[in-house]
Amino acid sequence: MEISTSEPSTARFDALYREAASDVFAYALTLLRDRAAAEDVTAAAFERAYRRQGSFDPRRGTQRAWLFGIARNAALDELRLRRRSAALLADPEDVTAGERAADAADHDDAALRRATVSAALAQLDPRERELISLKFHAGLSNAEIAKVLGVSETNAGTRVHRAVTRLRKACHAPS
Amino acid sequence: MPRRNALPDPEVERGLRELEAALAHEPGADPDLATLVADVEAVRPEPDASFLAALDARVHAGFASERAAATPKRGGSWRARLRQSPLLLPGLGAAVAAGLIVVVVALPGSTTSGGGDSASSSSSSRPTTIAPLTGSGVRGGDPTIGSAPAAPGSGATSSADAAETAPSTSSSSQSAAKSAPLPAPTTAGPRKVERSAALTLTPAPADVQDTADGVVRETQAAGGYVQRSHVTTQDTRGTAEFTLRIPSAHLDDALQGLSKLAHVGGLTQASTDITATAASAADRLDDARAERRALLQALGRATTDRQIASLKARLADNRDEIAARQSALNSVRRRADLATVEVTVQGTGRPAAHGGGAWTPGDALHDAGRVLEVAGGVAVIALAVLGPLAILALLAWFAARTLRRRRRETALDRAA
Repeated sequence: MEISTSEPSTARFDALYREAASDVFAYALTLLRDRAAAEDVTAAAFERAYRRQGSFDPRRGTQRAWLFGIARNAALDELRLRRRSAALLADPEDVTAGERAADAADHDDAALRRATVSAALAQLDPRERELISLKFHAGLSNAEIAKVLGVSETNAGTRVHRAVTRLRKACHAPS
Repeated sequence: MPRRNALPDPEVERGLRELEAALAHEPGADPDLATLVADVEAVRPEPDASFLAALDARVHAGFASERAAATPKRGGSWRARLRQSPLLLPGLGAAVAAGLIVVVVALPGSTTSGGGDSASSSSSSRPTTIAPLTGSGVRGGDPTIGSAPAAPGSGATSSADAAETAPSTSSSSQSAAKSAPLPAPTTAGPRKVERSAALTLTPAPADVQDTADGVVRETQAAGGYVQRSHVTTQDTRGTAEFTLRIPSAHLDDALQGLSKLAHVGGLTQASTDITATAASAADRLDDARAERRALLQALGRATTDRQIASLKARLADNRDEIAARQSALNSVRRRADLATVEVTVQGTGRPAAHGGGAWTPGDALHDAGRVLEVAGGVAVIALAVLGPLAILALLAWFAARTLRRRRRETALDRAA
């Protein structure tokens, strides 16, 4: 949903928040792999967006792309400042994957596939995981992803295609 | 920054089309890809309800009271921001320095040129007061009967010729005229001193006539007279020239009065000791008179008509000689008694503070133009100072932005 810029700023921001809060959290968690940090970054991203509503220029992209750009900067700042991402590589998400693996033990095909996907996602490098999150979880177009990453639309599309290809290979790879 | 879009690879383009179809859940989408999309969407992490509730509350409150808590833990304080952006500190320093420079430049009288202009205008707008000459034998009495004692080491009454060939001259601007009295001629007896002065007054063009009238008034008040005058007044400018003869005893007072009429553009004073010339003229007159007495005595003793006729002829010549020498002596005395003052009035100055007349719209325009000139000058100086600083600040900002972006990307790579 694209928010009309003619709406009052508070209503427009409220609509953006309702539409994108979960997406931003999913994206932040994909980058940080720490639920508490993802919550902090999600809140920080929305506060920054709220404070900087005047800096949004519709001619430079959609409001979702603008918001995810803010969220990305906040997440990367968090990563850079904490410098503990390596220690968290196997933390919460792996626990979730483990639970899903236990579900798989119940011979549920869907659960098995999802556990496989989770494991495949964990094998991707952070940039590819970020692209998958932006494309699948946030639902951004290639043009919006290009704005978020600061690259050309063609480059963004190529990266997305490469990330999806790697994910598919990882899913089909023998465990 | 706009980025160039190259032509996409056909295989990539086809793959992206299939992916978009799967994401849109289109019926004709690749089944394998559609399954992948469904599975990835299924594993999408969801926020806790408690977190969403808390964030809802903060959003609806406009983040008003929780700004510090909402910002990232290490990014909220100004110290953390300085740590994050190492170039922010020099940038702030440059901004503070620029502010200080602007303040210093804007302060009145802080620039060299401004100070010079200020000093010049203040002195030019002030009427000049000529200090009275302090040389003895010239001031306060008949300058022809000077009573200055002989200077130490100088021969008494000697070297009158030397004194006559060494006139003292004082040429000065108005400020110098205040404190530079003419040196007294070094004489050992009654001296005769010829004094002269040249004064240039520069009133406003509209004040030339008034100034000229004032010159005449001051001359008459000093007991002198106007020997020659030439006054020309026009709409935009005017000039007047005077040759004044003023009793030497009142010359200083007269110069003071004249200098108060308008701004003094220049003042030159000179004094020449003419004692020897006067003594010579007196001696020559005495000689002629002695000759007349001798001729008269000879005439009384003459017996022949031829002797009588010859003596009468010589007496007639002697009478003419006496008259000429008396005239020469009187001329020398007049040179000592009456100082010559050349006054030039040039209507090129600004209105005097004491007599400039009412503040007219023309004056207002002139003042407004002057204000704009000064403001423009200050703006140019400020631009010259701030321009390079602004460029440096821009470069620093750009470098800091690039550095921050690179650090962020590096942080993402390190997260692998």
